[in-house]
Amino acid sequence: MGNITLGRYIPLDSPIHKMDPRAKILAMLLVLVAIFMPAGWIGYGIIFAAASLTIIIARLSFTFIWKAMKPMLFMLVFLFVINAFLLKTGDPLFTVGSFTLYSDAVFQTLYIAVRLLLMVMITTCLTATTKPLDMTLGIEDLLKPFQKIHVPAHEIAMLISIALRFIPDLIDETERIIKAQESRGVDLKEGKIMERIMAILSLIVPLFVSAFQRAEDLANAMEARGYAPGEQRTRYKVLKMEGRDYILLFGAAALLAGMVWLAYFR
Amino acid sequence: MPISFEHVGYVYSKGTPYEYQALKDVCLDIEEGKITAVIGQTGSGKSTLVQHLNALLLPESGEIHILDRVIKAGDKPKHLKALRKEVGLVFQFPEYQLFEETVLKDVAFGPKNFGASEEEAKKRAKQALKLVGLSEEYYERSPLELSGGQKRRVAIAGILAMDPSILVLDEPTAGLDPQGTEAMMKLFYELNHTYGKTVLIVTHDMEQVFRYCDRVIVMEDGGVRIHTDKDTFFSDPEACRKMNILPPVLIRMKELLKANGFEVADDIITEDALADCIARQVKKHG
Repeated sequence: MGNITLGRYIPLDSPIHKMDPRAKILAMLLVLVAIFMPAGWIGYGIIFAAASLTIIIARLSFTFIWKAMKPMLFMLVFLFVINAFLLKTGDPLFTVGSFTLYSDAVFQTLYIAVRLLLMVMITTCLTATTKPLDMTLGIEDLLKPFQKIHVPAHEIAMLISIALRFIPDLIDETERIIKAQESRGVDLKEGKIMERIMAILSLIVPLFVSAFQRAEDLANAMEARGYAPGEQRTRYKVLKMEGRDYILLFGAAALLAGMVWLAYFR
Repeated sequence: MPISFEHVGYVYSKGTPYEYQALKDVCLDIEEGKITAVIGQTGSGKSTLVQHLNALLLPESGEIHILDRVIKAGDKPKHLKALRKEVGLVFQFPEYQLFEETVLKDVAFGPKNFGASEEEAKKRAKQALKLVGLSEEYYERSPLELSGGQKRRVAIAGILAMDPSILVLDEPTAGLDPQGTEAMMKLFYELNHTYGKTVLIVTHDMEQVFRYCDRVIVMEDGGVRIHTDKDTFFSDPEACRKMNILPPVLIRMKELLKANGFEVADDIITEDALADCIARQVKKHG
């Protein structure tokens, strides 16, 4: 379980790591929109180049991206099979018996695969270079303007940061309980149905018990330190936009503008 | 030797920036029928070491002989159940593994997994609960409503009920009150002396090591720094201090007495004997 790569922070020292989380989140949103512009292969090529450049600057490895992509492969194969049977437009490529594969089925699947790859690249650039805590600070700040229409920006950010904070703990806890129960002869990989159900039960019950215990401890600890939702709070870490953050934002906006032009005005 | 390590290495999160070498070239023989203490600072590899003993973690390099099995680096061994029955591992804070509706059922869970019949498992569970000092009135209670110390005992009974020949305990007394700690250590001592079980205890408490253990393993930075018998280990308090280990009270007391002109024999290892020794010398000098 320690090898989940999607959405994991990688502590490295790079210009991207140092950027303001707000700039990174906004830039990611802009590029995500850009990915969904029907800008054709040239457009995807440009976005791919930009994303690759970001990955290199952030000193992330491409194998890391590939690992994050792997779980999606099954879905893509599944999608291709469906497309192959349903999409009957474009040029017929080949025929086996009564089944003919058309070019659009291949292109549609490829389009989605490329978009997915780009999305994984872009989101990984954000999550791998931004500490979860900085990310929530960024989200909180970006949600601030919506407070006027009663969006509880701080509470949402607090919820996200608590949830994120508990993920590694719960993964560790699960591993610990698996090991403890394996020591008592639980076999998670083999066995009859009833034994398997028992095995899973022997994990879930302790996991729930400890999760509730942790939640209660945390709630008490927060209350003991005077936390009250909705109160005005100051911050230890104040975010500040710098030159490189504006460059990133400008770059992302330019990319989106370029895609819009490629898609609609050419 | 029931368990021996030959040049064992283990790395966590290999191939990621989190990569961490927890064990480095560990060579170690664990003696049968003894109580061995594993000590060392946090992060020295104690917990990683004990998880190799019942093949929860498999070595990245080297090989481990556990009873009649050999586990080599790179192997993907199957049917580890038989092994895990013989090497009972009690984790740190084992009370988190309790899940059944009743104490009796939870303790019987282990033996049932290892193929004992319902009846046999219950019988063994009752014996184990008796050993840890929980009476019949606890059998039908939910393990989740017991106190921390009682939960700990139920969890340990859960391992004892499997009747392992080697018992491995990772900080079994952490968080217990002094009486609970005392009772727990006496239990392990009894299991070793009366039932002949090989016991391995990870601990930070030098008083426990001094009073109950036969052998001492000091882990440092992923390797075994010292492996010797207890008396040799504590005979050089200065060496202990160099490893950031505070010698037990009795040893420190002896040191102070010697420094102040008392004659204290090296074979004095109980408080009573030390008190007699001092009394005699005080009387003599009036």
